[in-house]
Amino acid sequence: MARSLKKGPYIDFRLDNKVQAQNQSGKKSVIKTWSRRSMISPDFVGHTFAVHNGNKFIPVYVTENMVGHKLGEFAPTRNFRGHVAKKDKGKR
Amino acid sequence: MTKDDCYQVGHITKTHGVNGELVFFLDVDDAKEYADIDSILIEVKGQLTPYFIESISIVKGSRAIVALEDVETIEQAERFIGSGLWLPLANLEPIDDETRFYFHEIIGFRVLDAEKGPLGTVTAVYTMATQDLIAMDYAGHEVLIPINSDIVPSVNRAQNQINVVLPEGLLEIYTSDTGNDKPEVDGDEEADDTDED
Repeated sequence: MARSLKKGPYIDFRLDNKVQAQNQSGKKSVIKTWSRRSMISPDFVGHTFAVHNGNKFIPVYVTENMVGHKLGEFAPTRNFRGHVAKKDKGKR
Repeated sequence: MTKDDCYQVGHITKTHGVNGELVFFLDVDDAKEYADIDSILIEVKGQLTPYFIESISIVKGSRAIVALEDVETIEQAERFIGSGLWLPLANLEPIDDETRFYFHEIIGFRVLDAEKGPLGTVTAVYTMATQDLIAMDYAGHEVLIPINSDIVPSVNRAQNQINVVLPEGLLEIYTSDTGNDKPEVDGDEEADDTDED
């Protein structure tokens, strides 16, 4: 079920405060975050976030077409290394 | 010919029709540039095998319907499903533009920051669905740099270096020992005033 429109998008308030502070000062340093569930708002555009993927931080430079997505979408948590060859599967 | 001398252009997704035609997925900027190739290397059991192309037609942007020589039945074509498609690096057109580059050509390039000067060397380029990243070896740490025209504005091929404008604090994330420690509180709760969210 989609999030209610009445509530507005979820953005971690401390993350949002950091972005607002940087926007006011004109500074653009990397913002480290574990809040993968925060939605990218238009204010985030041009900022670089270091989003934790459970193992390390993945830098995400926010562009306009990322607005509306969650930060976690840009920091994958798994590395797909391909499937094992069919002949090795199911052998006992 | 080994994979080191080639680059992957895509993979084979499925068969098309009953006469041995195949559907290629071309993971390239403009698939139409590949509309006139006459041969392709197909990865079969880890080995690159060259095949001549009888006909190729680009459909739906990044897909092409291809008929290979000596592949005339659907049974012959089925064994190629999922195989990687490769072309020799020599086939690539050289890029003169400093703002554009092939990912494979910057491996080993030095990274020069506008403020901090030389930093390290490019060890790999990670391509993901959402963004691409340069992996740089910096003082024994792997530092990831997003590929974007603001952060990687140009490449100097003559000097084997890429020019970057790293955002403030990016290097410190990878070099600080405590960088991966999650704060005790989660995002919703009140925390003390740190640089981390």
